Amino acid sequence: MADEQKPQPKPPAAAAGHAAPKPPAVMATTPWESDLTSQLKEHFGEQILECLSYLGQEFLIAKPEAVIPILDYLKLDADFDYLVDVTAADYPNRPERFDLIYVLYSFSRNQRIRVKTRIPDGFKPQTAVTVHATANWLEREVFDMFGIEFAGHPDMKRILLPEDWQGYPLRKDYGIIQQDERWVKENLGIDSAQ
Amino acid sequence: MPEATFLDATELVLNMGPQHPSTHGVLRVILKLDGEKVNGTECVIGYLHRGVEKIGENRTYQMFAPYVDRMDYVAAVSNGLGYCLAVEKLLNVEAAPRAQVTRVILTELNRIASHLLWLGTHALDIGALTPVFYTFREREEILNIFEKYCGARLTTHSFRIGGLQYELYDGFEDDVKAFCKAALPKMDEYEELLTANRIWVSRLTGVGVLNAEDCKAYGVTGPMLRAAGVKWDIRKALPYSGYEKYDFEIPTRQDGDTFDRYIVRMQEMRQSVRIIRQAVEDIPSGPIMAKVPKVIKPPVGEVYVSIEAPKGELGYFIVSDGSTQPYRVRVRPPSFVNLQALDRMAKGALIADVVAIIGTIDIVLGEVDR
Amino acid sequence: MRKLLRTIFLVDLLQGLWVTFRYQHPKHIYTEQYPAQRPKVAERYRGAPRLNINPDNGETLCISCNLCALACPENLIVVGWERDEQTKRKVLTTFTYDTSRCMFCGLCEDACPVDALELTQDFELASYTREGAIWDRQLLEEGPRPTKYRF
Repeated sequence: MADEQKPQPKPPAAAAGHAAPKPPAVMATTPWESDLTSQLKEHFGEQILECLSYLGQEFLIAKPEAVIPILDYLKLDADFDYLVDVTAADYPNRPERFDLIYVLYSFSRNQRIRVKTRIPDGFKPQTAVTVHATANWLEREVFDMFGIEFAGHPDMKRILLPEDWQGYPLRKDYGIIQQDERWVKENLGIDSAQ
Repeated sequence: MPEATFLDATELVLNMGPQHPSTHGVLRVILKLDGEKVNGTECVIGYLHRGVEKIGENRTYQMFAPYVDRMDYVAAVSNGLGYCLAVEKLLNVEAAPRAQVTRVILTELNRIASHLLWLGTHALDIGALTPVFYTFREREEILNIFEKYCGARLTTHSFRIGGLQYELYDGFEDDVKAFCKAALPKMDEYEELLTANRIWVSRLTGVGVLNAEDCKAYGVTGPMLRAAGVKWDIRKALPYSGYEKYDFEIPTRQDGDTFDRYIVRMQEMRQSVRIIRQAVEDIPSGPIMAKVPKVIKPPVGEVYVSIEAPKGELGYFIVSDGSTQPYRVRVRPPSFVNLQALDRMAKGALIADVVAIIGTIDIVLGEVDR
Repeated sequence: MRKLLRTIFLVDLLQGLWVTFRYQHPKHIYTEQYPAQRPKVAERYRGAPRLNINPDNGETLCISCNLCALACPENLIVVGWERDEQTKRKVLTTFTYDTSRCMFCGLCEDACPVDALELTQDFELASYTREGAIWDRQLLEEGPRPTKYRF
C-alpha cells in the first residue's frame, strides 16, 4: 500500500523497468476500418501509418509532414470543421520524443477523431492556423509547455508563462520541485516562498 | 523619413491591466485604440497559471480530483464530472445508476449557479448594479445544497471515480424541489429587470457579433455557439451520465451578438430546472459506487472525454501508462479557446463594448490559465 | 403610438425599478450580521481537522496506520508513532497537520478507518504567523474554539 501511493514523481519508464523480463505494456488497440479511413488511405497512401481505435475512440497516426494536408483534407472533404484540441505528450525514451495530437470533430457526422504524429526534439511542425483559426493559442500553449515550435505561426511566443521563463515545464525532465525560484529571484528579488 | 512624434500618432495603446474590476479575474488586455474605437486587442494571460497538468502527472488518480475543481472554480462540479467520466472510461466502468442521476442533478444545479454568477457579474460590468445581489442570493441556495451534500460550497470534490462518496442526505430531494419551485419566478424577475430595459438592449445588441462560421473556425463552443445559430450541445450529441433519458431543449438564437447570448443563457437555466425536475422524480436506489479497485491502475491507453460545461466543451485527454499516476492529463478549457475570439469580436467596437464582450464570453481565469 | 408612450414615459425602466422597490420590505433582508451571528454550516462541512478521542477512556482513537498521510495530495500530515513494548501495538506520539497547505478536500477524512481524523465545522482558521498554521496533536485534539464576541 505504501509503495503504490508514494507521492514522489516516478519516472514513466519505471513501469517497464520493474518488469524487465516482460515487454512494456502497450495500448490494446483494435484496427479501425471505415470509408473515412479508406478515403484517407487512398488519398495519402504511405503517409498514414496506422488507423486504430481504443475504447471506441478512433485515431490515426500519420507522418509529421502529412498532418496539415490531412487536416485540410478532413476539413474540406470530410467535414471535420472543428479542431477541438492540439496537445502533446512527452516520451523521453523514444527517439521521436513528442506525440503531437490533434482532436477533430465533425458536426454533420457527429464524430470525433484524433490525428497523432510522432516528432523528434527540435522538429518544427507546420502550423495548423491556416486550416483552423483556433490553433493559434492552442499551439502557443504547446510551445510554452513543451518547446515544440510551429513553423509559420503568426505569433510564436509563450502564452501562460512569462516571456523570459526558461525551460519547458511539461517535459519529463523538468523537475516539479524546480518551480519558480529562479524567476522570482531575478524579477522580484526575494526568495520564492515554496 | 521624418520621425514620428506622439502628436502624429493616432493609435493609443492602453493597458486594461490584470487588476481590473471588469476582467473577471487576472486578465490583461492590451487595447490599441483610435480615440474610443478599438483597432485591435491582445490578451496576455497566465497570471493564474498553477501548472495543474504537471501536478496531474505527480498525483494518483483519486488524489488529482480535488485539483480539478480549482480550475473553473465557479462551477466546480462540472470539472469533477468530466474528470471522473474520463477516468471511468479509461477503466471501462460505468458509474452506478443512482450515482449517475445524482451527478446529473448536481451538475445541472451547478450550471444554474454558474449562469447566475455570470448574469450578476455581466450586468455589474455593464452598469446594472442590482441583479448581482439577487443572483447571488439564489446562488446561495444552490451552494447550501452543495454544502449539505458534500461539505464544501465552491470546490466541491463531490464525485469520486466510479460514483459518489457520500450518500444523499435526508431532505436532498425536498431541498432540490424547493429550489426549483423558487427558481423559476426569480428568473422571471431577472428578465423583468433586464430584458425589456432599453439601456440593456441598446448596450448589448449588435455588440460582439460572432457568426456561426467564425465560431466553428475559432473552436468556440457552449452558449456562444448556440447563440450564433448552431444547435449543438454535447449533452444531446454525445450523451454521458444518463442525459439521454431526460427531455430538454437546446435554446438557440440567430444573430450571435451579446444580447442573444444573454437570452440563450437565461433559457438554459430554465432548461436546467426542467432536467432537475425530471431527474429528482425518481432517483434509483442502489449502491453509489461501482466496482472500482482501491488502487486505480488503468491499462495503458489514452482517452478524450468531453462534457458540456456551463462555459463550453470541457475536455479531458488522459494518457495512462499502466501505473497509479496518469502519464499526461490534458484539460481542454472552454474559456481559453473562447477567449481567442475576443480579438475578432472587439475589432471596431468601443471600449465600453470590450467590457461587455469579455463578460459575455463568460471566462473564468482559473480555467483559462489552469 | 403605444410604443411611443412607453418610450416617453420610461415604462420599461420603471418596471425594473418596481422590482427593486418591492425588495425594500424588511422581510427581504438577507444580510447576516457576522460575527455576532455565525452562519450555521452543514454537518458534512469540511472545515478544520480534529483528532477524536475515545469518550470512555480518554485516549486517542488514532491507531497510527498512516493512511491519512498517504491519502493526502499535498503530503502535509506527519504521523509519529512508536511501538508499545507490552501490547506490540502502535501508539501515537505526534501528529502534525499543516493547515496552511491544506485544500480541505476530505481525502484524509475518507481514508481514516477508525474515524479518528475528522473535518469539523470550524472555518475560522486565521493565525498571525505561518508557523501558527501548522497544528500539532494538542491543538488538533482540542477542536474548534470560536472567539465569542460581546457587543
